[in-house]
Amino acid sequence: MASVQFSNLEKNYGTTPVVKKINLEIEHGEFIVLLGPSGCGKSTTLRMLAGLESISGGDIYIGDELVNDLHPIERNIAMVFQSYALYPHMTVAQNIGFSLENLKVEKSLRETMVRDVAEVLELTPLLDRKPKDLSGGQRQRVAMGRAMVRTPEVFLFDEPLSNLDAKLRGQMRKEIKALHQKVQTTVIYVTHDQVEAMTLADRIVILNQGKIEQVGRPKEIFDAPKNVFVAKFIGAPEMNIFALSNEQMFSDFELSNINHSGMSIGIRPQNLFLNKKEVKGDQISFIDAEVTGTELLGSSLHIECKYQDKKLVVETATIDTSIKGDIRLYFNKTQTHLFDQNSNTIPR
Amino acid sequence: MSNLIKKDKVIAYVVVSLGAVIMLAPFYFMFVFASHSNSGILSVPPPIFFGDYIVENFNTLIDFLPYFWHNIGLSLFVAVVTTILNLLFCSLAGYAFAMFDFKFKNFLFVGIMATMLLPPFLGMIPTAMIMSQIGWMNDPKALIIPAACGAMGIFMMRQFIASAIPKELVEAARMDGCREFKIYYRVVIPLITPAFGTLGLITFIGSWNNFMGPLVVMNDMKMFTIPLALRALQGTGQIPWGAVAIGAAIAVLPLLFLFVIASRRLIDGLTAGAVKG
Repeated sequence: MASVQFSNLEKNYGTTPVVKKINLEIEHGEFIVLLGPSGCGKSTTLRMLAGLESISGGDIYIGDELVNDLHPIERNIAMVFQSYALYPHMTVAQNIGFSLENLKVEKSLRETMVRDVAEVLELTPLLDRKPKDLSGGQRQRVAMGRAMVRTPEVFLFDEPLSNLDAKLRGQMRKEIKALHQKVQTTVIYVTHDQVEAMTLADRIVILNQGKIEQVGRPKEIFDAPKNVFVAKFIGAPEMNIFALSNEQMFSDFELSNINHSGMSIGIRPQNLFLNKKEVKGDQISFIDAEVTGTELLGSSLHIECKYQDKKLVVETATIDTSIKGDIRLYFNKTQTHLFDQNSNTIPR
Repeated sequence: MSNLIKKDKVIAYVVVSLGAVIMLAPFYFMFVFASHSNSGILSVPPPIFFGDYIVENFNTLIDFLPYFWHNIGLSLFVAVVTTILNLLFCSLAGYAFAMFDFKFKNFLFVGIMATMLLPPFLGMIPTAMIMSQIGWMNDPKALIIPAACGAMGIFMMRQFIASAIPKELVEAARMDGCREFKIYYRVVIPLITPAFGTLGLITFIGSWNNFMGPLVVMNDMKMFTIPLALRALQGTGQIPWGAVAIGAAIAVLPLLFLFVIASRRLIDGLTAGAVKG
């Protein structure tokens, strides 16, 4: 188990910077999720930590050791790849034990260690099979077993669930969480799936265009996004954010006493209600909008509306697709988010 | 089955059979002539069935080529060593070109590919001069070393490795503690055996049949490879066609044997990566 520290970490491909002076401290045993859209630099950051990618600037520490120039195996970290990357010509047991073989662990001890890991991951009956004879979930578990077997100081996961179907993904999420609780090793997990991030992480690191936008606990990031990017990226459907462009809007949101040049306001679709009674708290306000469409998602309904020529979405448990015309939407003022002209959150 | 499909099938079979007969006839006649005397072979019409002159032809062959078995052995040695070295060096180079990024990679690769544009005959005189200078005339090294790695083999291996081995697999091996050469022999080689089979066959056949190479560096009859030895039979006044045929028949046996056991692999390897699997 070890802490990890990125200090002014940089990566450039030619003249194009993809990771821009990242600073981050990850504590012992923490489960950190690097979350961001495609091309934000999250996988590159992970690969630099793994030693699979050279760094263009800055330092990486694992524990107290500077690992910038160390070979992957010298960093004592293990990685689970998106495609599992199992050796097709080796059996499950050989796949799991391969790193031990490279570390010259004695054969009998190696076999015991492989069996122990297989036991934990329920792979014992599959030890003699080749990867091609396994299902997606089983392959994923073998990849995890391969990472676990040599008790690394840090586990790295690079979008490990993106090749699985939705049901299996949910199951594997639970298994990864349980595994972390069991081994208590530092985990750094890369994903673009916010559900994975919200359910697995102790802390989430939101990356955008090679920079860290926000670091925080999942609830903290959801409730108090630092800027428009984070506010929109976390939450589905995404937060309704619109520029405050006329007096009516300031009046609706009761912001008349605020200096308002270039400001915008955000409210989550789940925090807009059709009935006043549904709103929690006492600072209740409302806006009038016009329904432009509905989208039924089984257990919930998304109502698309127009408010002051801006589009907004309401998520409601009321399954009434016939809703149309003008509606009044209630909300708690404390659940709105104000952003300044630079798209940063204005503390309230 | 409709009549039209039946008709198409019949035509296809006839065309393929005709092609097979045209291809196989020289082989058949080579074996038939190996069992007939010179006069029998040169008679009109020539013999179609096997005769009983095989022992005499073999004795004539040994009279003319006293080192025949040595020549066969040398050919085998050169072909086997060339094949092994080719597999080793071409796969190493192909692996590097497919998996690593390094300075001048594209320039180097284009340079290697460009060597395929040069006719092999252009190299005859320089090869002879170099081998003579370094004292390798009549030495198997003169045949093995220049052929130990070829552009075609590098290209083939690079294409196969790039399509058959995901980069993540190599990275996983790196994470599992393998150094680069161990990744090559523990992860890459087991996964490229189809390409090894194909390149091995092509190289072996190429080396076995090589005529121009030995012609310029081997002038001692004992050090002739088999194509050169058989050619030597034809410069002896009246050509003993029966002996030539039996020599050719013996020379072709290793190739036939290889083909029987590995033709499937050869076809698989040549078409690998052509379509999404």
